[in-house]
Amino acid sequence: MDAIAIDEPEVTMSWQGVVRFLHKTPRAFLPMRSFPSLELVAGRGIEGDRYFVGQETGFYSHKPEEGRQVTLFEMETLEALQRDHKIELLPEEHRRNVTVEGVPLNHLVGRRFRLGEAIVEATRLSTPCRHIEEILGKAVFDPLINRSGLNCKIIAGGTLQVGDAVRPI
Amino acid sequence: MAKAIKTVSTVVSKVEDLGNDTKRFTLVDQDDWELPPFRPGAHIDVHLGNGLVRTYSLCNEPDDDRRYVIAVKREPEGRGGSNFMHNHVEVGQPISVSLPRGGIALDQVGSNVFLAGGIGVTPFISAIRHLERRGRSNYVLHWTSRGRPVLTDMIAPAIEAGRVRLYDTNAQAKPVIAAIFEEFAGSGLAACCGPAAMLKTFGDAVSAWPEERKHIEMFTPPKVIARSDVPPYELYLSASNKLATVTPDVGLLGTLDALGVDVPVSCGGGICGACRTRWTEGPPIHRDRVLSPAERQNELIVCVGDCAGQRLVLDL
Repeated sequence: MDAIAIDEPEVTMSWQGVVRFLHKTPRAFLPMRSFPSLELVAGRGIEGDRYFVGQETGFYSHKPEEGRQVTLFEMETLEALQRDHKIELLPEEHRRNVTVEGVPLNHLVGRRFRLGEAIVEATRLSTPCRHIEEILGKAVFDPLINRSGLNCKIIAGGTLQVGDAVRPI
Repeated sequence: MAKAIKTVSTVVSKVEDLGNDTKRFTLVDQDDWELPPFRPGAHIDVHLGNGLVRTYSLCNEPDDDRRYVIAVKREPEGRGGSNFMHNHVEVGQPISVSLPRGGIALDQVGSNVFLAGGIGVTPFISAIRHLERRGRSNYVLHWTSRGRPVLTDMIAPAIEAGRVRLYDTNAQAKPVIAAIFEEFAGSGLAACCGPAAMLKTFGDAVSAWPEERKHIEMFTPPKVIARSDVPPYELYLSASNKLATVTPDVGLLGTLDALGVDVPVSCGGGICGACRTRWTEGPPIHRDRVLSPAERQNELIVCVGDCAGQRLVLDL
């Protein structure tokens, strides 16, 4: 049978989101602290964070990974945990750096996008870890499978502020 | 290869000699960052750097979140931990500690009756400071000591308000423990921390109380991931020629860790695949969510794995 030519429209990403919360912590196990802005440094990470390349002091620092320079998490996941599992997980508890709203993180692996004035490239989906359950005492491991955030490397740095836009390139 | 960080890094910011062979140590983050949270009356393992690990209750309250305060009574006949703390721990010294564990499930509205012997008061100091900070007075502490009690400065308002009954057993009779708890038999929480004889008497006094209403302070080991009732089995590491027995309380991963094997564990829950390892004898028990049936024929996700037989051989 002959193939039928279909004139498919080009798919483009049309989302636009916003930065809701910013967090960092200087060492493994310490609580995340909220900040109005963070300094993103290309190729290294977030100034003062435990995974800043060259000064690593995080739980996974013995396993270097360039995609751990900045990590993102969806507000929508926090809402889903409350809605579907009755678990209140706060923005400072998921231990990712940037909490965003309106950004389809799971669609962005391998893509570059704008994070405020910075440009980042998503390397892989984050996986949940038992370490978070140990710290929080909340059974979040299973509910966070496949929606535990996004690991990114920083292509172009800059100051990132709460309220900044997140958008495709 | 760098080693995984498994403890919280703190620095000794203050050492106070309180007399009566007791010192109080304040541990903080080097940048005065908040420390991991804890419940009233929780405890931490203190890694003393010479192989000694000792567990001490926190004296401060959860809202006081930038320091861990512990009090250590020197036990000349002890196993060495208190002597080390007294003789070698100084201001400015780095000390690694575990995440806090345990704590007292306080009765929010009913009465909380605490019974402490000597330095066993420490978890109740934390609990009382927690309650006082919230303006609550629904507790009483019965506290025995030989001679002048220490740490009273941490609960001075409670003592002034008459919510602490002190018994200097060098000068007066010990309290009648059964009588203390008799009047609270119908409701509230009873908690005790002290020497073995006191714990025994306390246990007898509240033996008829439901479990959720009584708390005997004992240091709890770190939680292990819930495991099935797999009996102990032999673990042989063929590449490094190491042999060990895996018991349910330690588990496969804990045993590998104890053997000094550096397995690249990441998620710890069987979903990321970082710790996949070849096996040659088993059969293993697979609890992961990443390996295909074919892969399971010769690979195991060790962070959640076990052995269904008597001997597991891993290519490590």
